[in-house]
Amino acid sequence: MTKQEFLDRLRRSLAGLPLEDAEERLAFYDEMIDDRTEEGLSEEEAVSSFGTPEEIADQILSEIPLSRLVRERVKPKRALRAWEIVLLVLGFPVWFPILISLCIIALSVYVVLWSVIVSLYAVDLALAVSAVGGIALAVRALLQGQPTQAAAFVGASLLCAGLAILLFLGCVKATKGAVILTKRIGRWIKSLFVRKGENS
Amino acid sequence: MDAQLKRGLLDSCVLAAIRNKDSYGYQIIKDLKPYTELSESTLYTILKRLESAGMLTVRSAEHNGRLRKYYRITGAGTDRLREFREEWSEISAIAEFIIRECENDDKAGIS
Repeated sequence: MTKQEFLDRLRRSLAGLPLEDAEERLAFYDEMIDDRTEEGLSEEEAVSSFGTPEEIADQILSEIPLSRLVRERVKPKRALRAWEIVLLVLGFPVWFPILISLCIIALSVYVVLWSVIVSLYAVDLALAVSAVGGIALAVRALLQGQPTQAAAFVGASLLCAGLAILLFLGCVKATKGAVILTKRIGRWIKSLFVRKGENS
Repeated sequence: MDAQLKRGLLDSCVLAAIRNKDSYGYQIIKDLKPYTELSESTLYTILKRLESAGMLTVRSAEHNGRLRKYYRITGAGTDRLREFREEWSEISAIAEFIIRECENDDKAGIS
């Protein structure tokens, strides 16, 4: 195999690599071969000391971080081809509903989270109202001359008030948690865009 | 060999090969040949890593009517070599301990 054949085969095997990266590596091997032939080796001998271009390409690709390769793949190097546009348009009935469904599912999960918190507040409010109502009923019972009933109402009222206070503490905690979660989700979504921005 | 350890070793190896005089790819490979068989793609990766870490600079110079890349160590690269020597005295003390203990085991007939 001559130097040119070797470099051509290596170039083909490195097709998945970012272009500048591949060119730089090819120049590196070019120099290595020239340095060897200068020492009196033939091109064939110089080239054979490297192993096959495919083996070298395999090793190079295995050394490059996956993230870099994926990024290279995701980044469109050219305008979309006609058949790709056709596929995107024809596939619209398939990918669009799936995309929308995923977004809606995510939104639903979020709404459910806040619903739980809202219902907790509702229960808390109900307990507080019951506590006040219990006192009112107790006063009425007392006025009607029924102290036993009044005492029972006061008891129920105190119970409700206690539960309401405890639950309120829980509600505050849950709200704080949900707010933190919201911020985190926001940051995560933002980070997706930041990463995309760096690519371009 | 442990990949992390080997990486550190080879990085320092290449830095040591260019510490006094600018060198080029094939020369580095030849200089290191008696100690370690460095493949071209491994050397390329190491040189790239050292360059982006600011431990060496690259320049192209003409040689016999073609361009050849020469690598020169930077201050950071020299610092790295000094650090390596300091770290290495610690590592070799540990290695000595491990080897001595294992030899003791061998003598005692435990494998």
